[in-house]
Amino acid sequence: MSCAEPDGRPTPVFELDGTSVLYDGHAALADAHLRVERGEAVALVGPSGAGKTTLLRLLCAAVTPTSGRVLVAGQDLEALSQGKLQGLRARIGFVHQDLALVPNLRVSQNVIAGSLGSLGFLRSVRAMLLPSSRELDRASGILERVGIGEKLFQRTDSLSGGQRQRVAIARALYQEPWAILADEPVSSVDPARARDTVALLRELCAERGLTLIVSLHDLQLAREILPRLVGLRGGRIVFDRSTQAVSEQDFRELYRLEGRGPDGA
Amino acid sequence: MGLEARATLRRPFAIGRRGFVVLAIVLCAVAALVVLDAPFRALLPQRGGFAIVRAFFAAMFHPAIGYETAVPAGTPPLFAEALAAARRTVVFAAAAMSLAIVAGLVLGFFASTAWWRDPAVGGAGARRRGRRALAGTVWAATRVLIVGMRSVHELLWAVIFLAAFGLNTASAVLAIAIPYAGTLAKVFSEMIDEAPRDSAIAMQAAGAGAAQAFCFGLLPRALPDMCAYSFYRFECAVRSSAVLGFFGFPTLGYSISAAFENLHYSEVWTYLDVLAVLVVAIEIWSGSLRRRFVA
Repeated sequence: MSCAEPDGRPTPVFELDGTSVLYDGHAALADAHLRVERGEAVALVGPSGAGKTTLLRLLCAAVTPTSGRVLVAGQDLEALSQGKLQGLRARIGFVHQDLALVPNLRVSQNVIAGSLGSLGFLRSVRAMLLPSSRELDRASGILERVGIGEKLFQRTDSLSGGQRQRVAIARALYQEPWAILADEPVSSVDPARARDTVALLRELCAERGLTLIVSLHDLQLAREILPRLVGLRGGRIVFDRSTQAVSEQDFRELYRLEGRGPDGA
Repeated sequence: MGLEARATLRRPFAIGRRGFVVLAIVLCAVAALVVLDAPFRALLPQRGGFAIVRAFFAAMFHPAIGYETAVPAGTPPLFAEALAAARRTVVFAAAAMSLAIVAGLVLGFFASTAWWRDPAVGGAGARRRGRRALAGTVWAATRVLIVGMRSVHELLWAVIFLAAFGLNTASAVLAIAIPYAGTLAKVFSEMIDEAPRDSAIAMQAAGAGAAQAFCFGLLPRALPDMCAYSFYRFECAVRSSAVLGFFGFPTLGYSISAAFENLHYSEVWTYLDVLAVLVVAIEIWSGSLRRRFVA
């Protein structure tokens, strides 16, 4: 198991400590132990319904654990005040499976919406409706970096699926996050684009020193790009190793079809 | 296997539950007519009435160009008078709608469930529960207020305000604004609740407050529908404003009733035509805006 004690190790940015989440008595995540250090890049893999999304949502405090603890930068989320929690969320970029952009706003507005968490209400109204040239420059720089700089002032729903994905990534980067959590960021694009997108996420996080946790159902993609794999199945962490150390047997076990009978725990 | 399955499926009764509802409605309609003592008989014009009806509809084909009888010197020509009345009709409607939209937005926000019922972001605790209970109370109170505003028709509001404040512009504007604000609030709140919430939830997950998530995540997604509905209500407000003229407010209704009392049917038709053109013009204008917004 990976629930070793801290002794001498740096404080992990994300830590699950015996964390369980129950939905209507059904365990979406059971007794999970996980440590992710600053700057790491981790893929959560496993069949759908394995608890990948729940795990990610725990880390940005969108879900509260039924039991166990969630620590972000050494702080127990349960013990944080609402204000502190909001401050923490504002610095964690989340790329959603369905992207969760506002389709009838401009790309610039969707990107600048990344800063809502760190602005007061009136300042956020100003930033959304009358962005300063500094804000626009920053949004434009990020869009440039993710490869769609020319789309700054277009309506978001006029973009292709792949381009919208980049808007969602740009919005997360605009938060000036210290970590990016991505939930199946490539579920809506073709395989070639999916590879580019995950590689881009990895690159962006590496060049900025951000921690990256990305859930992927595409195992091949995860092995190719991310150095550490966490396998989930039925709400349990089945393995957690560096990518080279994960064996074919582990993968078979992970995606074994239900109903073949239990073979070992 | 197939036969067994079919045996367990009972064939529905010839008249289903829906059929009974339709039947009940028809029976109610018949009962109402019986209770009202066949009011259609009264629609057959009496001897004198028939002449009036004929005169009125005969005038339909030649609306008046000028006044039918002598008017005091200095009275503006009929057409100018009709246009001025049409302009006042639109101004009353616009004033009422601008009040109604602001009130409808505020009340619609509080009457929607989006801002409080769905805890977009996890978290528990007594304080949160307390806030939700308070929010629920505000929501229920707003709903009751909206129903109250809507359940009294604008003509009844006009009667009340006429009695209270007399014949002034504010009475007419308020009489339209209050029920319209109630209707707008109800429909706005439903549109807000039906708008997809994913972006608002994402914003809250990224640290945004509830108000920010509402304004930038939820409202933009409901806005095209809200605009389209507001345009439609503006059209309705123009008709209401015209009708309020019958109480003496200087809109098209006033001109119509005055001409009617003087038996100047051609003038009545002039005013009616202006009203029809006005409504059609607004319909075309708002339709084009609606298409641009909702597309």
